[in-house]
Amino acid sequence: MSSGPKKRNFQIEAFKHKVVVDPKYAEKTWKVLEDAIKEIYNHNASGLSFEELYRNAYNMVLHKFGERLYSGLVSTMTLHLQSMSKSIEAAQGASFLDELNAKWNDHNKALQMIRDILMYMDRTFIPSTHKTPVHELGLNLWRDHVIHNSKIQSRLLNTILELIQRERTGEVINRGLMRNIIKMLMDLGPSVYQEDFEKSFLQVSADFYRAESQEYIECCDCADYLKKAERRLNEEIDRVSHYLDTKTESKITNVVEKEMIANHKLRLIHMENSGLVKMLLDDKSEDLARMYNLFRRVSIGLSTIRDVMTSHIRDTGKQLVTDPEKSKNPVEFVETLLEKRDKYDKIISSAFSNDKTFQNALSSSFEYFINLNPRSPEYISLFVDDKLRKGLKGVKDDDVELILDKVMILFRYLQEKDVFEKYYKQHLAKRLLSGKTVSDDAERSLIVKLKTECGYQFTSKLEGMFTDMKTSQDTMQGFYAACGADLGNGPTLVVQVLTTGSWPTQSTNTCNLPAELSTLCEKFRSYYLGTHTGRRLTWQTNMGTADLRATFGEGHKYELNVSTYQMCVLMLFNNTEHLSYKEIEQATEIPSSDLKRCLQSLACVKGKNVLRKEPMSKDIGEDDAFSVNDSFTSKLRKVKIGTVVAQKESEPEKQETRQRVEEDRKPQIEAAIVRIMKSRRVLDHNNIIAEVTKQLQSRFLANPGEIKKRIESLIERDFLERDNEDRRLYRYLA
Amino acid sequence: MGVQKDRVKFNVGGRHFETTATTLAIAGRNSLFGAMFDENWDLDPTAAADEHFIDRNPDCFAVLLDLLRTGELYIPPNIPERLLHREALFYGLSDHLRAAKWGPFDGNTVRLSRSIPGRAPGDGTAIRAGPDGGCCVAHGSMVHVYDWAMEEHPPMNLDYQRVNDAVWADSNSIVLSACERLGRDDGGMGLFNASTGELKYKFHVTHDDQVKSFTGGALSLNSDYRLFGSCRGRSNEYGVGVWDQLSGKQVDFFYEPPGWSLGEADKLQWLHGANCLMVATLFPRKDNCYISLLDFRDKERMVWAWSDAGAPVGDERRVRDAIAMEECGSICVVNEYEDLGFMDLRRSGGAMRWRSRSPLMKGKMPDEPCYPKLALHQGQLFSSMNDTISVFCGPDWVLTSRLRNSYGGSICDFSIGGDRLFALHSEENVFDVWETRPPPIM
Repeated sequence: MSSGPKKRNFQIEAFKHKVVVDPKYAEKTWKVLEDAIKEIYNHNASGLSFEELYRNAYNMVLHKFGERLYSGLVSTMTLHLQSMSKSIEAAQGASFLDELNAKWNDHNKALQMIRDILMYMDRTFIPSTHKTPVHELGLNLWRDHVIHNSKIQSRLLNTILELIQRERTGEVINRGLMRNIIKMLMDLGPSVYQEDFEKSFLQVSADFYRAESQEYIECCDCADYLKKAERRLNEEIDRVSHYLDTKTESKITNVVEKEMIANHKLRLIHMENSGLVKMLLDDKSEDLARMYNLFRRVSIGLSTIRDVMTSHIRDTGKQLVTDPEKSKNPVEFVETLLEKRDKYDKIISSAFSNDKTFQNALSSSFEYFINLNPRSPEYISLFVDDKLRKGLKGVKDDDVELILDKVMILFRYLQEKDVFEKYYKQHLAKRLLSGKTVSDDAERSLIVKLKTECGYQFTSKLEGMFTDMKTSQDTMQGFYAACGADLGNGPTLVVQVLTTGSWPTQSTNTCNLPAELSTLCEKFRSYYLGTHTGRRLTWQTNMGTADLRATFGEGHKYELNVSTYQMCVLMLFNNTEHLSYKEIEQATEIPSSDLKRCLQSLACVKGKNVLRKEPMSKDIGEDDAFSVNDSFTSKLRKVKIGTVVAQKESEPEKQETRQRVEEDRKPQIEAAIVRIMKSRRVLDHNNIIAEVTKQLQSRFLANPGEIKKRIESLIERDFLERDNEDRRLYRYLA
Repeated sequence: MGVQKDRVKFNVGGRHFETTATTLAIAGRNSLFGAMFDENWDLDPTAAADEHFIDRNPDCFAVLLDLLRTGELYIPPNIPERLLHREALFYGLSDHLRAAKWGPFDGNTVRLSRSIPGRAPGDGTAIRAGPDGGCCVAHGSMVHVYDWAMEEHPPMNLDYQRVNDAVWADSNSIVLSACERLGRDDGGMGLFNASTGELKYKFHVTHDDQVKSFTGGALSLNSDYRLFGSCRGRSNEYGVGVWDQLSGKQVDFFYEPPGWSLGEADKLQWLHGANCLMVATLFPRKDNCYISLLDFRDKERMVWAWSDAGAPVGDERRVRDAIAMEECGSICVVNEYEDLGFMDLRRSGGAMRWRSRSPLMKGKMPDEPCYPKLALHQGQLFSSMNDTISVFCGPDWVLTSRLRNSYGGSICDFSIGGDRLFALHSEENVFDVWETRPPPIM
């Protein structure tokens, strides 16, 4: 190219037309939105275009005017709320709440619509700038400008509280409106509800119930008071369910409980002539149930009831068992105990909702006072004896079980179960030997119960007694089958062979049997020893019975049912008219105490005096003389002559039984000590006492002094030794 | 035939659409359609004469309407995704769009969705998944933030100091920890707005009533808004600090016991059930590895501790990452050969049980190795090694899947959250997004 390079200057111009949004854009757009918000608050939204408003709000955010939009919203909404607040303030009297509610509804609706328009801002601008979302902002502004307005705040609170107070005095209030107002407070957040309403509500309620309870307690009896308290409590629960926050329920019930129950707890329970004791005495199970349900709500309420009930049962029980009148009749004694237990059992199940702790209190109370009377085991056994002899005649099996179960409950309360066993054995023996037992099933059922309660050991001997009875029957059949032909027309002998140890055998003083009988007895002995080798038979003449045919005076014939001893005495009169006490004693060799008792029943009981005594007196003397009472008559052909036996044990007998019980305990205690030491090898004194007591408590309460004696005895016999260094330690010697 | 009562007509940017009120109800109350047809607005959507005008892009409206009708997202090639996201945001349908794009995360079904190249030079430090499907990437002294649509937001920095760790406090806030600059209150830890990149406040360490400058290390959060950070101060402020995330106030400090390491930890992990914090300081930051559990109610001692200090020399297996697995009551670790090791959390001082996988790796060490990392997500254990992430499942941690992208080189960090897995590569400045597709329609 010929032409020289022409320098061309490129000049890059700055971009002049910077895109500028209409400076009034933001204000214009905001104006549209602000007007729309105004229309919304004026219930005039139908002319608005949702799409346009939404788009405008969107555009403001898009063009970075989010801040302007948000601040505009805050100020315009504040303005509207302030005017709403004015009109609420102006509302007179009862219309105040209505106006507040109406304005609240308006605001809520408007808020929803505003949030719809500003949805885009709410979703994008607000989270990224950590501002308060529109809905929450609306609630906060309402709270600050309406609810916390100085002219509204206290008026609102007072109006609500006054309405509640009026409802408490029986007026009907507009619960729907209340619900709306309270709901509003809750919507504004838990702190508003609590600070602006709940706190004062609880305070005012406490004052109200404090005054009311004071008034009631002065003029009402306990049952009435409790009814009123219960009604108030239910009213408050009902109120919460209708128009308060459910979380308030526990708080307001706490107030009522505290003011009406807890503060007057002791006064109510101990109210004279209507308190707990009176209710128990009168079986007021409905009132008791009410008391239980109300007191359950307050701390240590139930334990107070329980303590008062326990001490009441203990006191009355103690009176019962130590009352000498009651002790006269053991059957009645036990029946009273059973009634008492039934009564409280019923109260606990019907009024105290079968509360376990109350049942335990009942048990421990019975345990306490039953054992106050050392004769309780004997009486219970006597009660059973009475029932099994006659009391259960004609009673259905189920009812029998029921009675036995109840007896077992009393039995469980006994500490000295081994004493009971002793007596039970004696009584059972008598029942079995005299054939007086009513129902074999009932007997066995009771044995099974005792077995489940105390174990196999406890009843093995009792079961042995039943076995003996059965075996004896078989033996007698065998005897008569084998020797029946040789016996001819003599007396009939029935022998019950009792295993030594199983039965409560007493002294083995055999009396002289009449000749006819002793030969028969010898025959039986040889038959029995012939079938069983290695056994020894001893006659227990003190336990037998006999049926005699006797003819008096001009041929009055009677059949006499007597004891073996009595039979021996009467047989003497077959040969002679008159006999002195000494002669009888010599001929029969019956122990004198038994002889006296047996003569007493033959000669001194009116209507059954088959013998005549010289001199005529109640008691038998060594020098008395006896003859057949020829003028004896009786309406019945069969006459049962009982032995004069004290049903209850006499004092010396009691001592004897006691001694035997103590004697029996010794080996048991020793066995327990050895068992424990065998497993522990080394143990100190206190622990042995504790463990032995624990092991034996199902049978009896071991006396620590006795345990100590047993330990010493075991040391002497080289079962144990004392530790050389620590004298309180014992070692087991294998 | 009866007249259909719930027909709705739209005019969107000049194009006519007809749909039904039932279809629009799918959008939910919290959308433009939900608000528009609320009774407050007194608009009868089915009034035959009324056509509702909307001043928006009709093409996008068609796609979104289709999404409401079918629950499935189909984007025609002529519509940029970014445009669609913008429109969805306008209608309040972003959540629908997101739900249609990917389903619940499962390591065995994830697919590589896309790779995002970054602009920062040098190696990446960390990548952290956000709760909403977004993520942040720490490169040197900068942290880049991406939302779920992978739109990049303004980056954040802490006085341009080197960033050591980052954690999402909530869907809109990120906490960074950075090195200090000598003698000045630069660096440390700060909470940032994720969408604007603004620093909102810093977390200070106070010692004897004096604010100290420090280097922030590993971070962790718990559900009570407590922020835990490993701190290395000038003098003796070594340890783990605790801050209230909402107020930024320091509430506690666990000083490093002698002969142990807490202030330079590689990893903090809050154990919700045990109410403890796991602190792991690992090789090569320190010559030895220290893993311990801290109970801040008892600062006299560490609840559980393990270290390989004093182990026989020559044992090549050094722990490179650790993760506590509360449900199994154990801590899982990994060494540079990607062997997994397990320790019983329930008793202190137990031995490490190694599970060797080394044969797989023999002779395949790449030029620029990356240390393995671990992650746990709903019973699945993830471990990264070089350019691959392995997925282990079941009580015996059986290898079930391997995730691999041939481009970008070794993976230096990865993170799971918002139903997505993000993997950051070290050779190229790029990260991968893995997600599970929505379940098939048929």
